[in-house]
Amino acid sequence: MRFMSIVISSQPMQGPTPALMEAMGKLTEREIKSGRMVDMGGLAPLAQGAHVAIEGGKLRVTDGPFVEAKEVIGGYAIFEFRDKAEALAMAKEFMQLHLDHMPGWEGTCELRPMIGHGVDMKCGEALQSAQLA
Amino acid sequence: MRFMYIVTSPQPMQAPTPALMEAMGKITEREIKAGRMIDNGGLMPLREGARIAIANGKLSVTDGPFVEAKEVIGGYAIFELRDKAEALAMAKEFMQLHLDYMPGWEGICEMRAMIGHGTEMSGDEKAAILAEAIRA
Repeated sequence: MRFMSIVISSQPMQGPTPALMEAMGKLTEREIKSGRMVDMGGLAPLAQGAHVAIEGGKLRVTDGPFVEAKEVIGGYAIFEFRDKAEALAMAKEFMQLHLDHMPGWEGTCELRPMIGHGVDMKCGEALQSAQLA
Repeated sequence: MRFMYIVTSPQPMQAPTPALMEAMGKITEREIKAGRMIDNGGLMPLREGARIAIANGKLSVTDGPFVEAKEVIGGYAIFELRDKAEALAMAKEFMQLHLDYMPGWEGICEMRAMIGHGTEMSGDEKAAILAEAIRA
């Protein structure tokens, strides 16, 4: 099963500390060698990006920078794992590095199975999602 | 420059309509042939996933499903393009397909430059971001 993990934070965007970079580097090397990590990367600040929205039946482009402070995605990684339990264990290990090497940082790692690669979104699940919301 | 597009929506997550799937398929084929599209994919609903958060110096794991409704990431794409203008044009074209083939759908395509691949975060940019955040 393929998973994407997305790191989100509402704090002002900072790059990883050198200690965190080093720790993530070791984890990355281990995971690439074992064939589990497919891809990973950091995203430049939202100020350099843009939003293209659909609202009220219209397209609206908002170029950065953005006024409202909101949760911003900082980075992502794509892994190939046996199951969700394995994915969760990796995400916890990865976030533990943030706790250990970037004190004071707060944020969330969102873990999502990727469609295809052994995972399909059936009509039933789509309906269930609609009912839950 | 490499860009990631992330599509989010506050609406209940639905699969793309067949018409949208077909339209996106055509764009994908064109962009892969041109060498501009690196990767793309859909993400399962958040209820199939999990959140690992750091708050107050602690790790906490919340397994799906989730009670609070918030904007959920539905899909992503990674492109290699000349500059931001080209990237914006692609994002608009992609979202126009959603407007054309999934009436009633509302959401946001967030476009972010990817670090490395021609984009670095300079010391000045970091200082500017901090200053902005302090003012806000």
